[in-house]
Amino acid sequence: MIDSYLSTEDQQERLLVGVRGDWIFDNVLALEEATASVIPRADQTVTFQCDGLDDIDIAGAWVLYDRTEQLSELGIKSELTGFKAAHFKFLQHIIDAAAIREFETLPEKPERPKILREAVENLGDASSAHIEDLGQIARSILDGMRRPSLIMIGETIKQVYLTGVQAIPVVVVITFLIGIVTAHQAAGQLEKFGASVLVVDLVSISITREMGVLLAAIMVAGRSGSAFAAALGVMKLNEEVDAMRVLGLNPNQMLIVPRILGLMIALPVLTIFADIAGIAGGALIAVGSMGISGLQFIERVAYSTDLTDFYVGLSKAPVFALLIATVGTLRGMQVQSSAEELGLKTTTAVVQSIFMIIVADALFATLFTRLGI
Amino acid sequence: MMNNAPEIIISVKNLVNRFGDQIVHNRLSLDIRRDEILGVVGGSGTGKSVLMRSILGLQKPASGEITVLGQKIEYHKPGPSRCWGVLFQGGALLSGLTVQENVELPIALYSDMPLETRHELASLKLLMTGLSLSVADKYPSELSGGMRKRVSLARALALEPKILFLDEPTAGLDPIAATEFDELITYLHDNLDLTIMMITHDVDSLFGICDRIAVLVDGGVEVGTIDEILDSDHPWIKSYFGVPRAQRARAAIGGDHHA
Repeated sequence: MIDSYLSTEDQQERLLVGVRGDWIFDNVLALEEATASVIPRADQTVTFQCDGLDDIDIAGAWVLYDRTEQLSELGIKSELTGFKAAHFKFLQHIIDAAAIREFETLPEKPERPKILREAVENLGDASSAHIEDLGQIARSILDGMRRPSLIMIGETIKQVYLTGVQAIPVVVVITFLIGIVTAHQAAGQLEKFGASVLVVDLVSISITREMGVLLAAIMVAGRSGSAFAAALGVMKLNEEVDAMRVLGLNPNQMLIVPRILGLMIALPVLTIFADIAGIAGGALIAVGSMGISGLQFIERVAYSTDLTDFYVGLSKAPVFALLIATVGTLRGMQVQSSAEELGLKTTTAVVQSIFMIIVADALFATLFTRLGI
Repeated sequence: MMNNAPEIIISVKNLVNRFGDQIVHNRLSLDIRRDEILGVVGGSGTGKSVLMRSILGLQKPASGEITVLGQKIEYHKPGPSRCWGVLFQGGALLSGLTVQENVELPIALYSDMPLETRHELASLKLLMTGLSLSVADKYPSELSGGMRKRVSLARALALEPKILFLDEPTAGLDPIAATEFDELITYLHDNLDLTIMMITHDVDSLFGICDRIAVLVDGGVEVGTIDEILDSDHPWIKSYFGVPRAQRARAAIGGDHHA
C-alpha cells in the first residue's frame, strides 16, 4: 500500500513502513488517517523507516509517537530507524519528563444536602462581606464629612457633573415623552366620563409623586451605576486600588464616597428637571389636542398638585441615589481578576440597582399611604 | 545551502514612527536572518516595543516598508499569523479561557484536527515550556507571573511557528526563573529551527543566548554580534555595556569576548 506519507511492505513477522513527505502541523489530520491504516496490518513488529522524511515538526512527531504507543498497547513492538531530525529526540525528552495525562473526568456533582449547605454558606459569606463593606463605606462617609479633603470635594463635584449635568438632556427627553404618553392614555379614558380636565391632575400628580423621580433614577442607574462598576472594576484590575492603599490613601474615601455624595446631589436636581419636563409633556397634549387652554392648565396644576406631592417625589431621590451609587461602587470593588468578571459585575450592578429602586419605591408608596401624605 | 548570504526572514526598510512631535524611529532599517536570536535593546522611549508592534502590524508607521517571510506587513491586516508566535510582555493570555484552552485556541483556529489530538498537542506544548499539566484547567489569573509567561510561550509555539517574538520575556522573573527561561529559549531555538526576535534588558540573556544584538539609538539602529557592539563608540552603548551588571554578565560567559 502506498500513499503520500506512508508506504508499507510485509516481511516475515515484520511490517516495514516507509515514512516520507512532510510530517507537519498542517497535515496532522491526513497523517492520523494514514497511520491508522497501519495498525490492522501490523504483525509482531513494525519498523518505521524515516529516511524518506522531507520535514517533520513536533505535531508530526507526535502523531508518529502516538501510534507507536498504541501499537505497544496491542503488544506489537515498533522500531524507528533512520531518524535525522532532532525533533523526535526532543519529543522523547518531553515524554520522559512527564507523562501526557489522560483527560480527567469531571468531578461528580456533590450530593443534594451538600449543595444546600454550600448555598447557605455562600449566602452567609456574601452577606457578611456586604455588611462589612457597607460598614466601611459608611465610616468613610462619616470621616469624610468630618474632615473633608480638597481632593474629595473636587472629585464629588466632578461626579455631580458626570452623573447629573450630563444626564439632563436624556432625562428631560424621556420624561417629556412619558408625560405625553400618560396624557394620551388618560385622555382616552377620562373623555368617556366628560372629565377631560382631570387629565391635568393625573399627569401632574403621577409625574411629581412617582414617574419623574423613578424615570430619572432608572436612567441614572443605567448610565452611572454601570459606569461606577466598570470604572472601579478596571481600577481594581489595574491594581490602582492597591496602589492607593499602599500610598496610604483610603480607596473608599477617594473613590466611593465622592460617587455616592455626587449622585445624592445630582439625582434630586435631575428629579426637578424630570418633573418639569413631564408636566410640559402633559401640557403639550392637553393644550394641543384636548382644547384646554394654557392658563387653564396652569390653574388646574396649581389646584390639584400641592408642594407635598412634589416633596414626596423629591424625598425619594437621595435614597435612590444612595442605592444606585452603593450597589455600583460595591460591585466594582468586587472585581478581582478577569475582564469577564468585570462585565458580569457591571451587569449585576445595573440590574440590582434598578431592582432595588423599584422595591424601595413600593415601600415608599406603602409608607406614604399609611401616613396619609 | 550553496548560497552563503544568510536568508533574510524579516526586513524593515526606512521605518519612520512618530508620536506627535516626537520621532521614535527615523528611517530605521533592520534585517533579521534565518535561525538567529536577535536581541533588541535600547533606552526607555527608543521604540523597542513600537518596532516589534510595527513588524506585527499592530502599529501604523508613518512610513517605511516591512516584510516578514516575503509578505508585506500592513497595519491591522492579517499577517503571516500562521508562521509567527508572539510572547507579549504581560503574557496577554485570554482571561476568560483556561490555560489549556488558551493554548488550544490557535490550533483550533488553524486546523481541523480532532479534539483529542488538539488536546494532546496543547498538553505537549505546555510540557515543552516546562509546565506541569496540573495547571491546564486553571485560569490565567490563578497563575504566577512566570507561569503565565510559560503558558504564553506555549501558546506562541502552538502552531509550530518559524518566527518567535519575545517582549521582555524575563522581565519580572527571579534570576533562577529567568535563567531557566533563557535555557528554555535556547533549547527551543536549537531544536525547532526558530528565528527569534527578543526585546530584553536582561544582560545575561543578551550575552548568553543572542547571536546578534540590535541597539536602538538616535532613532536608528546599530546591529552586530556581541563583539561588534562592544566595539561601538556610541556613548549610550558604551555606558549601557559599561555598567557593572553588564561587566559581570560579560565576565560570566567566558570573559574575553573582547580582549
